Amino acid sequence: MDDSELQHPNIIAENVQVRYTVNTNDPNYRAKGLRRLTNAVAGRRGQTTVRALRGVNFVAREGEMIGIVGANGSGKSTFLRNVAGVEQPDRGRILVRYQPLLLGVSAALQPALSGSENVRLGCLAMGLSPEEAEDAFDYVVELSALGAAIHRPMGTYSSGMGARLRFAIALAARPKILLIDEALSTGDATFAERSEQAMDKLLADAGTVLLVNHAAKVIQELCTRAVWMHRGEILMNGPAEAVAEKYRWWAWNVAKGKQDVADKLLHDVVSNAVKEEIEILEPELSKNPIPRHASRTAKKKRISTARHAKKLGPRNNTEAGRATYESDNDRQIWPEKLDTPISPARFPALPKPALETKSMTPRLNEGANTLKPAKARVILRAANPNDRASTVAAGDDLTNRRLASRNGNNTVQDSAIQQKSHAGILNVENKLENGRTNRVEDTYQ
Amino acid sequence: MTETKNPLGLSSIPSVSSDGLVPVGRRASLRNYLTALWNRRHFIIAESRAKMSSSTRKNMLGYGWLFFNPLLSVLAYWFIFGFILQTSRGVPNFLGFLVIGVFFFGFTGKCMTGGTGAIRAGASMIKGFQFPRAALPISTVVRNFLDFMPTVLVMTIVLAVVPPLEVITWRVVLVIPVIVLQTLFNVGLACLFARLGHRLPDLTNFMSIVSRFWLYGSGVFFSLEDRLADHPMLQTIMQYNPMHAYLTIVRNSLLYGVDSDPRLWIIGAAWALGLMIVGFLFFWRGEENYGRL
Repeated sequence: MDDSELQHPNIIAENVQVRYTVNTNDPNYRAKGLRRLTNAVAGRRGQTTVRALRGVNFVAREGEMIGIVGANGSGKSTFLRNVAGVEQPDRGRILVRYQPLLLGVSAALQPALSGSENVRLGCLAMGLSPEEAEDAFDYVVELSALGAAIHRPMGTYSSGMGARLRFAIALAARPKILLIDEALSTGDATFAERSEQAMDKLLADAGTVLLVNHAAKVIQELCTRAVWMHRGEILMNGPAEAVAEKYRWWAWNVAKGKQDVADKLLHDVVSNAVKEEIEILEPELSKNPIPRHASRTAKKKRISTARHAKKLGPRNNTEAGRATYESDNDRQIWPEKLDTPISPARFPALPKPALETKSMTPRLNEGANTLKPAKARVILRAANPNDRASTVAAGDDLTNRRLASRNGNNTVQDSAIQQKSHAGILNVENKLENGRTNRVEDTYQ
Repeated sequence: MTETKNPLGLSSIPSVSSDGLVPVGRRASLRNYLTALWNRRHFIIAESRAKMSSSTRKNMLGYGWLFFNPLLSVLAYWFIFGFILQTSRGVPNFLGFLVIGVFFFGFTGKCMTGGTGAIRAGASMIKGFQFPRAALPISTVVRNFLDFMPTVLVMTIVLAVVPPLEVITWRVVLVIPVIVLQTLFNVGLACLFARLGHRLPDLTNFMSIVSRFWLYGSGVFFSLEDRLADHPMLQTIMQYNPMHAYLTIVRNSLLYGVDSDPRLWIIGAAWALGLMIVGFLFFWRGEENYGRL
């Protein structure tokens, strides 16, 4: 597998959890005793904890445009805010290669100022120098196509005009990661064309776009991949066509009041969805791949004892006991030193992951699967190997292999991703010597 | 077990290399933070001017109020204290004494209340762009500083024109270092209250009371030394009030043309530098939380 198969990740989210404590009027949540008294003084009924994100694992790579669909309140905006770094997740972490730029629904920056003053202010806030802001001004005016309205106060703009200006300002700083939270849905058709071109340029430049939009059609047209979020979790992750179609079908049933059909569909998806897991290879590991760090369960303490044991030299087996077992475990089959470049291991050519074959050609096989979500080749992992529900891709994919591997091990795998990980590790290993430099050193720069 | 392990001995969870990726939105180290803040200096100025013009643009006179406002308040004070009450309360040149107190204290007071709401007021900027959040309280101070400059001009003209005339000496220049110290003090104050106000929204209610208490405790309307003659301990405590130090130095230099107690200079400088460092560090420590409103 050559290098281009596996793009560098731009965003990695690992087990992101967010919870908010909010006031509620729900009588079920009414506090008791002293708490109730303090709540009464504070003028609120009770408080409840909302889990906005319940462990989201997510990887976005260079050149990907990923749509996020989901009902209101499913955590899409929260996720984008966390990716942008506006908020910090309560648990988990988010790694990015470049500083993401978030385009929210509320467009106005300083409503009293004119559009052109807002352009300058926004550019400076993004860290451009005054000269760069001056240069970017023409670009912003051209992209937003506001004409004379650019000199009017931003508070007088329509929501579509505000969104256009905001989008143009964001692109003036040439961001590599753009997070669009419903910001473009108010723009008109001419602007849609222009914004698409601008985003294509960004994607071609190894950027990444995350797009939240309730119109599943937009997602299908624009994105290579889509993610369906539901109640703070990622239900589906796959080719935009299939995921958006499935979401659309579900939403349509909900809208039509066919709650039973929608519930059944959701149940199907939920029962097949398994929490995606990712393993993040730390840069230290990439630079110095001693397998002591490789195992996730390895605790720091154990590592230090193992080192200590090594320093002491050969030890008596009977005396060492547990420690010997551990150090044996740590040593594994690896050579101790990896200073000399080793030739990359060769593997039989693996079939292209179904995930990618689909996503790379989103618009070619159009029509075949549309309107029949059940036939769509969505890759989902079965939680229960015996339960091969309708959403699992039809026979010809690697499901059997995946299920076979599942029986041996508890870690549930998508075989497509599994293969990818083989390649991924090799890929990483090949790059070890190169030691790619940190591209984002100061997130503010 | 073995078949799910790939040749490197790792479990076959999809792996991605985090090489070249950094955690997003994390607090930068102090050095990087200061560098980033310095790089945003143009933004701070633009933001403070934006705040200024968005508040003045609604008025018909616009920037004119920067001059009219202090001028009218001087007139009001002169009318009440100088004309109606005819009181000097044992203070020579009471009108000048009062005007200096009101304006110089107003600068700090506005920075304090503005700093308390700085994060909330800048919510749209925080959500939209990633910049060192300290830019917001600092831009509040810069904005109030820009407001304060015309005030000082008006004040100087009034003091020069309205009798009784002042003793003009070289000490007039000493006003400049005092303003510098006070501005540094205000930066620390705004940063301190910006984080506190973000954490405790209730603080805005409390601030007006604190501000008033401080106003009277700094000897704006009367001489602390005279009033607290019976309470020597209270007087000593009040002496350490930074605003009292700044006001006394300005009055001594501008009105009476006498040297100020070096102790006042020490107190003023210690407060300015100390609070600026403490307030800034305190704000910086909370950097990751300001997005949650």
